[in-house]
Amino acid sequence: MASRDRVRFNVGGQLFETTSTTLANAGRESMLGALLDESWNPGQPEYFIDRNPACFSTLLDLLRTGALHIPSNVPEKLLYREALYYGLLDHVRGAKWGPFDGNTLRLADSVPGRAPGDGTAIRAAPDGGCCVAHGSMVHVYNWMLEERRPISLDYQQVNDVGYIDANSIVITARERLGKGDGGMAVFSAATGELRHRFRVEHGRQPKSFTAGALSLACPDDHHIFSSCKGRLNEYGIGVWDHNTGQQVDFFYEHPGCSLGDADKLQWLPSKNCLMVATLFPRTDNCFIGLLDFRDKSIPWCWSDAGITVNLEDKRVLHAIAMEDGHSICVINQYDDLGFIDLRAGNTNSAGTGVRWSSRSKLMNQKVPYEESCYPKLATHNGQLFSCMNDSISVFSGSEHVLTSTLRRSYGGSICDFSIGGDRLFALHNEENVFDVWESPPCPII
Amino acid sequence: MNSQSQRRKNFKIEAFKHKVELDPKYAERTWKVLEHAIHEIYNNNASRLSFEELYRSAYNMVLHKYGDKLYTGLVATMTSHLNKIAKSIESAQGGLFLEKLNHKWADHNKALQMIRDILMYMDRSYVPTSHKTPVHELGLNLWRDHIIHSTNIQARLQDTLLDLIQRERTGDVINRGLMRNITKMLMDLGSSVYQDDFEKPFLDVSASFYSGESQQFIVCCDCGSYLKKAERRLNEEMERVSHYLDAKTEVKITSVVEREMIANHMQRLVHMDNSGLVNMLMDDKYDDLSRMYSLFKRVPEGLSTIRDVMTSYLRERGRVLVTDTERLKDPVEFVQCLLNEKDKHDKIISTAFNNDKTFQNALNSSFEYFINLNNRSPEFISLYLDDKLRKGLKGASEEEVEVVLDKVMMLFRYLQEKDVFEKYYKQHLAKRLLSGKTVSDDAERSMIVKLKTECGYQFTSKLEGMFTDMKTSEDTMLDFYAKQSAELGDGPTLAVQILTTGSWPTQPTAACNLPPEILTVCEKFRTYYLGTHSGRRLTWQTNMGTADIKATFGKGHKHELNVSTYQMCVLMLFNSADGLTYREIEQATEIPALDLKRCLQSLACVKGKNVLRKEPMSKDISEEDVFYFNDKFTSKFVKVKIGTVVAQKESEPEKQETRQRVEEDRKPQIEAAIVRIMKSRRVLDHNSIVAEVTKQLQLRFLPNPVVIKKRIESLIEREFLERDKADRKLYRYLA
Repeated sequence: MASRDRVRFNVGGQLFETTSTTLANAGRESMLGALLDESWNPGQPEYFIDRNPACFSTLLDLLRTGALHIPSNVPEKLLYREALYYGLLDHVRGAKWGPFDGNTLRLADSVPGRAPGDGTAIRAAPDGGCCVAHGSMVHVYNWMLEERRPISLDYQQVNDVGYIDANSIVITARERLGKGDGGMAVFSAATGELRHRFRVEHGRQPKSFTAGALSLACPDDHHIFSSCKGRLNEYGIGVWDHNTGQQVDFFYEHPGCSLGDADKLQWLPSKNCLMVATLFPRTDNCFIGLLDFRDKSIPWCWSDAGITVNLEDKRVLHAIAMEDGHSICVINQYDDLGFIDLRAGNTNSAGTGVRWSSRSKLMNQKVPYEESCYPKLATHNGQLFSCMNDSISVFSGSEHVLTSTLRRSYGGSICDFSIGGDRLFALHNEENVFDVWESPPCPII
Repeated sequence: MNSQSQRRKNFKIEAFKHKVELDPKYAERTWKVLEHAIHEIYNNNASRLSFEELYRSAYNMVLHKYGDKLYTGLVATMTSHLNKIAKSIESAQGGLFLEKLNHKWADHNKALQMIRDILMYMDRSYVPTSHKTPVHELGLNLWRDHIIHSTNIQARLQDTLLDLIQRERTGDVINRGLMRNITKMLMDLGSSVYQDDFEKPFLDVSASFYSGESQQFIVCCDCGSYLKKAERRLNEEMERVSHYLDAKTEVKITSVVEREMIANHMQRLVHMDNSGLVNMLMDDKYDDLSRMYSLFKRVPEGLSTIRDVMTSYLRERGRVLVTDTERLKDPVEFVQCLLNEKDKHDKIISTAFNNDKTFQNALNSSFEYFINLNNRSPEFISLYLDDKLRKGLKGASEEEVEVVLDKVMMLFRYLQEKDVFEKYYKQHLAKRLLSGKTVSDDAERSMIVKLKTECGYQFTSKLEGMFTDMKTSEDTMLDFYAKQSAELGDGPTLAVQILTTGSWPTQPTAACNLPPEILTVCEKFRTYYLGTHSGRRLTWQTNMGTADIKATFGKGHKHELNVSTYQMCVLMLFNSADGLTYREIEQATEIPALDLKRCLQSLACVKGKNVLRKEPMSKDISEEDVFYFNDKFTSKFVKVKIGTVVAQKESEPEKQETRQRVEEDRKPQIEAAIVRIMKSRRVLDHNSIVAEVTKQLQLRFLPNPVVIKKRIESLIEREFLERDKADRKLYRYLA
């Protein structure tokens, strides 16, 4: 039995001996799986494969142990190419970095860009790739951080980007006056080709519009939300089905709550509502509301109108709904975190509902230098992340204790960051560079 | 060469090329190798092929941008093979057609798997970026287009499949494994292929088949055997699906059978002469009923059809039962009949109708309907209980007693006039208690508890009071004799039951003249009782008592006679006289005429118990009769019980009287309800009051709207309510 299980390979002249049990880890949908399948006269004394033996050795080791160790003499790109040949690329990706934890992140790579202006947004793909929006271009990187063909929506100013799945990117762009361009569209992440353009219809007439912030609903109902500004009445939040490509709903702006200019949209599955935040400096007063599309109502909203009189006051600069759906976390220009309780009814009255937690960090922090960026917030698996200047803070636990700080010496302040595919991507304002942070795989002992 | 020299002239510096373009001839050669391999795979000659070499060749073509050539070549090669395969399938004769198709399909799948192995790299990199169909799906699509949808195969395949199923339906054995493979193939090609090329025509053909068959069956079968056949067909179709069709087809084909065999013939089936639903119910055909239930349940309106027919049958049967004058003669048998009826149908519902709640409700509503058609039902149910509690339950175990009582309670629940029942029950209970005839105190109490649970404390408080009186009387008598025994000597023994006024159905009756011997003891008791309890009044209810007297007849025959108080009074007269006229007796005793007649009747006219002799001899008592002490009276028993001739059932005038009393009792209840409602609502219109009063009182009885109206008027007179000045239909509560 033992000898029948044994398999010998001659790869590029070098002999390898392994077992069919080890090779079974490659799966039937791989080159090695097919090679040993009974439809292809198996049982030969030795299989010849005309490929690089060093890479084969690394990949065989991966199949044996499940762990990836790349020898220094093997360039990573070469290994990826060989993994693609054998159909083992998914195995390599799965072994390269571990499950995401904000407190174990290590800088894995820094990728320089070539865009002329400031970065707009960076988004992580579900498979570990990412895309970066710069002005009117979106640069797309696969998980090996190889750049793919860039995409653009007629070279319009891009406002927001997002991944529908690992292979589809949705872009919102500004409309140029007098031209029917701008709006929102889906592109193939692999080829950069335009797949579908989303339309806004008002009174059955397709309208040209500027699409702003984006949000995807839970994966099972295929909805995309975007803030929209048309030139007539098309101010509000549009909803599309990304399977059919059709507009399914539109939430027109009520007086006193600007939806068309929203900075941040977020779907709250537990409340069946969309959170909309329109923030300084786009508007003078911050507005945060929950929209219920079923009856077109705003069951909850909050505004700081009337309490901020000068620029020195604490201003809400970014907002994110916490994962439990019970509260909204906000951040101000001093990097203070604040929480607004969503359960406490309507806190419309003069924005008193924020529980600010002043941080001692604020005291010894250097004065923000001129090229500072507005802070941003993110949540992932119960951890809360905020970026301020050139660092990202990680807060853990139900009390949101500051547990880690991610900082790097160059690239200037961070203008946006995103978490996905078990990676954190941080886009820096200067030098067009973005950093990739990963949690290393668990150590063996 | 030419282009190179031109470039040199332009002194253009060429960028260093990383990728060396593959020689187009090399690409052609590589494709030829792969094409040959595909041929060999289709010809089952793959053993000489080297997978590694082929995989590497395909890889090289994709890597060097010849993916397009590779893909179009693959499509062309596969298509030409499939066309050849189509020809060979077409040429298969008759029954071999399906076999051939199945065989070729298996080959194609195997080949497709191997081709996909070779082209795995193309599938992974070229196919997604150029939006092509992956190799496996491509192979299935080509098979669909060139084999299944080819003109010479499509119709033939469909006919063959349908023909085989038809043959199986008529009893042939077919190759189910082959059928399974072919339908599986259609499903693999996509659910739309399975549906369009097989399922839809299959359902159409099935519908017309079952439509025809059901027409045939309904003419020549009775309901029971029709249902058996329908059930068998339904099971066959489900079995067919499980053997060789897509599981999703089951719902569709069963709905076809259900529609054609059941839904379309439902009315005809339930009403079928001599075998329809009514006959099944009458004859307790549990199997047939159960089959009908489970089959009809599958179709819309099915169960309601059964239920409606059952309800109207039950109502009619019940109506006949409760209005049958023969039955009304014996209340016990009348109620027993109702109970049997209930048991029978309960059993049908539990065994055949799956204890369906809606059927139970239909049964209950039917009983409620017909029990209340006869206004004597409350009296009869109480009489039935009386019978059971007097003697019917003698020797029965506690559980058996409970079962009987529970069944009666079930009938009780159907009664609308529960207060009438209460009235009768009280009367009957009083008689049982006073005559000491109850079989078991436990059974009596258990019944009271049941009534209490059903109707509340108020309903039974007086009944419970009666039990308390019995107990207290016993204690009082013990005490009386303990204290007075010295004075009493050996006069007649007195047993007094002290009944609280109000708790018992007593009527004010003129007390009769008691014999002096008794009167003395009675007076002693009165003195004793009033001495221990102050502020009470004792009234003798001589109409309800009993007495044991010793009598000596001719030849020294001694007998102990068990008689009523009235009878005792009459008999005592004969201690001092041998013959008395009716008038004399009436004068001496002052017993009310009706009671006296009854009492004399039972003393003189009952054979074997005639301690008096009457002249003239006749069945009825007239005021001119003369009575004599019957010296010749004999009996084989020492103790002789002389019953009163009591109408078990109430006579017509008594019934009227009871009814009137019930109506009187209802008045304060209705008024109380009106006042309660108006107190909380303040203002209400007439119809709402009637509705609310009815709702409040329906647990006890169903008030008549006319009576409610009268009560409202009375309340207005007494200034509890007033009519609204603007709207005469509105009433206001006056605090």
